[in-house]
Amino acid sequence: MKTFLRIVAGLVVLGVVALLAFIFVPVQTTKPTEDLADDWKPAEGQGEYVMYASDCAACHTGKDGDFAGGVAIDSPMGAIWASNITPDKETGIGNWTLDQFRAALYDGIDDEGAHLYPAMPYENFRKLSEQDVRALYDYFMNDVAPVHNEVQKTELSFPFNLRFGIRAWNWLALTGDAGFDPTQAADIQNRGQYLVEGPGHCAACHSPRTAFMTQDGTTAGDKNFLAGGEIDGWLAPTLRGEDSAPQKWSVEDTATYLATGRNNHSTANGEMGLVVEHSLQHLTDQDNLAIAAFLKGIDGADVTVPEDFASLADAPLALEEDAPDAVPTETEKMLSEATDLSEGARLYLDNCSACHFVTGNGAPQIFPSLAGNTLVTADQTEPLISIILHGADVPSTQKRPMHLVMQGYADRLSDQEIAELASFVRSGWGNDAAPVTAADVKAVRDAD
Amino acid sequence: MTDLPGLPSRRSFLKATAAGAALSGLAVSAKAQSTPPPVPLHEYEPEYFQPEEWQFILAAVSRLIPSEGEGPGAIDARVPVFIDRQMLDTYGTASDWYMEGPHDPAADPLLGWQSPLTPAEIYRQAIPVFNAWCKDTYDAEFADLGDDDQDAALTSLQKGEVGLRAELRDFFTILLSNTKEGYFADPMYGGNHGMQAWLYIGFPGARANYKEWVERYNVEYPLGPVSIKGERA
Repeated sequence: MKTFLRIVAGLVVLGVVALLAFIFVPVQTTKPTEDLADDWKPAEGQGEYVMYASDCAACHTGKDGDFAGGVAIDSPMGAIWASNITPDKETGIGNWTLDQFRAALYDGIDDEGAHLYPAMPYENFRKLSEQDVRALYDYFMNDVAPVHNEVQKTELSFPFNLRFGIRAWNWLALTGDAGFDPTQAADIQNRGQYLVEGPGHCAACHSPRTAFMTQDGTTAGDKNFLAGGEIDGWLAPTLRGEDSAPQKWSVEDTATYLATGRNNHSTANGEMGLVVEHSLQHLTDQDNLAIAAFLKGIDGADVTVPEDFASLADAPLALEEDAPDAVPTETEKMLSEATDLSEGARLYLDNCSACHFVTGNGAPQIFPSLAGNTLVTADQTEPLISIILHGADVPSTQKRPMHLVMQGYADRLSDQEIAELASFVRSGWGNDAAPVTAADVKAVRDAD
Repeated sequence: MTDLPGLPSRRSFLKATAAGAALSGLAVSAKAQSTPPPVPLHEYEPEYFQPEEWQFILAAVSRLIPSEGEGPGAIDARVPVFIDRQMLDTYGTASDWYMEGPHDPAADPLLGWQSPLTPAEIYRQAIPVFNAWCKDTYDAEFADLGDDDQDAALTSLQKGEVGLRAELRDFFTILLSNTKEGYFADPMYGGNHGMQAWLYIGFPGARANYKEWVERYNVEYPLGPVSIKGERA
């Protein structure tokens, strides 16, 4: 008996020591992935470019575009407040060393050794090259104006407020070493892979999450990498598999979508619209082509990459002529005859067909196609309902300055009518998604 | 017969009531967070017009677009409501017109609006003059005349025979055009109630796209109209 108690006591002591060590022993931070000379200097504009590619503004910038943080990122555990990343010495990162800055990007560790909440996508940023890390550090230290802004403390509910717990989470999330490992067939696809896996942190939304909320797939070799996730109630559609947009669209189409928020098939709404506005439109044509090429070849398809897509910006905008032998869908025939219409179909003609047309195809570069549109058919019906209620817009971009706006129909249609309409577009032109109820619509209407 | 000032005349009251009753059975589908049907015309409280003016408007528009005969009348379409609401809006107050002068009310009519008065002021000042003329000529105010006398009086008004001064000479012109506007405008402005005017002439309303119909000759368009606020009829 005594021996048994001794063993138990020993285990308890061991456990306490291990726990204290877990909480208090500093985490080792990752070393540079490349030895650069101390006097290495980034090329002119490189740091700003990495900032755009990494979309730092998405979280760290409030209304003023100043990187002073203070933006709340909603999580199920509570609001996570994005930090001030201007070089202000008291409230920003002005006193951070390069190593501390790198640790934040690679390991999610701040200057005091505390864990950052993984709203910061260090699962992805740890793939940034040392040159890009240095360039980004140089940019934030020297090109960004310091702003004195004390950001609200993030206070999550127990047990998520115990930051040391993230240490264990990181064991699950941060698999493999920092740094980037190109695995593609051609240089341009490797460049795309780097942008997607690293700075672009596409997997943060487009990869599913595991039971522990880590990204299920952070590199091209992972089975579920970019296989579709969810952000703020919106479907972040899968970017691989034969029905995915990058597979159905040409490389040029995908690159155009990234650079302008619109192409011949679709428009970028919601979160993706913001990504285009704050990040992707600032990338070079070559880099947007690289991303598109990487996505096209992600499952092994042969990829032909066009020289550029600048010419698209000058292409005349016109409805594509119907191919003479094109067979209209049943939905198109019904809407064209307009004699035997369901409530939803009648509402579509009255409210939607002026822009999206009886074909459901919309118009290139302006009105997105509803046929085969993942936003329309997603299991998450809130975005579709919200767009019908409140409209949508596509940001102005350098190549396509026109800010496209769809009006909302909250005043014009009742919950029941919107349910009929949404159910119609979810089942028309070959779409095959479950109907929407008036209660679904009411929930979205009341939430706004 | 003479009505007490401030009380609706029996004639107008009956016309408005009949129209209200006819309309209550009209099928207009319920809207967004379904708006209640508007008050019957005879219970409508004008925002701008005084009782005597309101009686005139009710009577005049019902002769310009009568309810007897083909199609809905101006009363059925609640045209008086449209005109009343316009009076306090940009049109009635001429708030987006150049109104600084110089004004030459006697100028050639082809030179456009020359009166220093706004449309609402013209209604206010011209109606008593016209009613006085009706009293002199027919021994009753316009609203109390029979149909034939009302038609004759309006004809005289149109021809400029009722003694309106130059500032008011456009009265009949704006009355007629406001009546047509109230008849055919989108129902959101108070007239064209239930899109009756559109139904009557086969106008399909604010649907905005008929691309697939352009080359379908001699095929009757099967859909009724839709209004800007989404009502269907």
